Amino acid sequence: MTRHGRKPDESTLTVWQVIELARHPGRPYSLDYIRRLAPDFIELHGDRLSADDPALVGGVGTWHGRTTMFLGHQKGRSLKERVARNWGMMHPEGYRKAIRLAHHAAKFGFPIVSLIDTPGAYPGAGAEERGIAAAIAEAIMEWFRIPVPIVAAVIGEGGSGGALGMGVADRVIMLENSIYSVASPEAAASIVWRDNTRKVEAAEQLQLTSRDLLAMGVVEEVVPEPAGSARADYDAAAAALDEALYRHLQPLLAQPTADLLQHRYERFRYIDSLVHAEPQFGPKI
Amino acid sequence: MALAKAQPELRIAGTKLPAIPLPTNCPGCGVGLDADALRKHNYVCECGHHFRLGADAWIALIADRSSWKERWGDIRSHDLLNWKVPKPYQAVVDQLIEEGLNEAVRTGTCTLAGRPIWLAVFDFRFVGGTLSIVAGERLARGMEQAAASGIPYVLITASGGARMQEGVLALMQMAKVNAAVGRMHSAGVPFFSVLTDPTFGGTAASLALLADINIAEPNAAIGFTGPRVIKQATYADLPAGFQSAEFQLAHGQVDLVLPRTELRHLLAHLLELYP
Repeated sequence: MTRHGRKPDESTLTVWQVIELARHPGRPYSLDYIRRLAPDFIELHGDRLSADDPALVGGVGTWHGRTTMFLGHQKGRSLKERVARNWGMMHPEGYRKAIRLAHHAAKFGFPIVSLIDTPGAYPGAGAEERGIAAAIAEAIMEWFRIPVPIVAAVIGEGGSGGALGMGVADRVIMLENSIYSVASPEAAASIVWRDNTRKVEAAEQLQLTSRDLLAMGVVEEVVPEPAGSARADYDAAAAALDEALYRHLQPLLAQPTADLLQHRYERFRYIDSLVHAEPQFGPKI
Repeated sequence: MALAKAQPELRIAGTKLPAIPLPTNCPGCGVGLDADALRKHNYVCECGHHFRLGADAWIALIADRSSWKERWGDIRSHDLLNWKVPKPYQAVVDQLIEEGLNEAVRTGTCTLAGRPIWLAVFDFRFVGGTLSIVAGERLARGMEQAAASGIPYVLITASGGARMQEGVLALMQMAKVNAAVGRMHSAGVPFFSVLTDPTFGGTAASLALLADINIAEPNAAIGFTGPRVIKQATYADLPAGFQSAEFQLAHGQVDLVLPRTELRHLLAHLLELYP
């Protein structure tokens, strides 16, 4: 694993500039990647309980000669599309759909690719009424029992529990200009200062860039983006993501299921061990 | 109180509850408070208002007298991210420890009505009962041991969610503890969760609602996103009682809403039903 990858001269962007890139409406979204990885992708819908959540796309396609289950948060570009996709913010039905499709993949032995790109789970009354907390909790617990390899990539925003609910995997990687955080900078500012306009200060403390997460040992790899970031060249960004995901998947395909699940357990059980081992850890702001 | 009448021997309380700071009047009914009477009534006013308890009071309430054995009480939170504003995180933690608190989660073993249990208790006074690396570590270690030994696990929650000052590592604790909850379920170990006011965010969306039996205290606020943020994000008018324990009962998220005065009897009875 490539850890300790932080080099101060690698990026000249400020933290807030990285966040703006991660959220840029021109940035490739999950379907832009999935359709390049698996041109024969068939989207599957619904949680088989009550609804289909358009903020999460899921389906099957051929990837490196193998049927693969793809899951991903999906944002929209036009206003109409954004509303329809709910800005990539999942409701409880989305997590139930994800787990339904994960069991579907497990039945056939398909590996799972999960692409993360969400500001967070939907913070609305309807989500609360239908049990968003329990839906995320159940999903996180259930991912540890899915007996097929899972590789995840943060492609834009990895926002809070809404992202983690899709982020329990055997390997988690991040695109260079993506972020992954305990809360959005706005929410963190609102919690810490009770003032969400102090988002830049909050962002600088949260350590949410891909290099921060690599240094903390929370992700396995940072995938470089094309010059001008992923939005400058969708094909090149997709090719880089494809190569990295498949490189991480390959050794998992050969693992006995018991080992796979035990390693997945240990990956998260000891995810903070790097910082425990280094009490002086912490890039200085 | 049917259970209390049916099983008078279970009236043997745990330890006498510690004194807690109280307002002069009850926020529920406005009546002047008698601290001694309230303390004997598990800090539940006659009007039904439940005062928040710290971890020490909860341990005294649940554990049989002198049975509490705290575990891993010496692991401490540190400022890993160099968090400086508005307050340096390390100074916040040091101050709380100096005041005699020991993290947002304390865990250990004890007996309840003579039966051994694992007990984990959140403490809202410690950075809002937030899930931190140390909190997650204490929870996961206890659950792993419960899974290995078959001893039932009792959880009391009071938490604002994941701890901002530990960044994404605090978020990862949700996966860490849920993995351990899964181990308890696979091992057939009974897991009882008591949700108290307030239980939100990363704690509600991880172990709090994953128990075999979810019990909530009357009128406790329980949810994922707090009402202030929901109003900011959606401009919605939230109805009275939104995210209350009773709301969660009506929406199928908890098994029962039970006054604190009956909790010990219920847990003792559950330990008999799920041996």
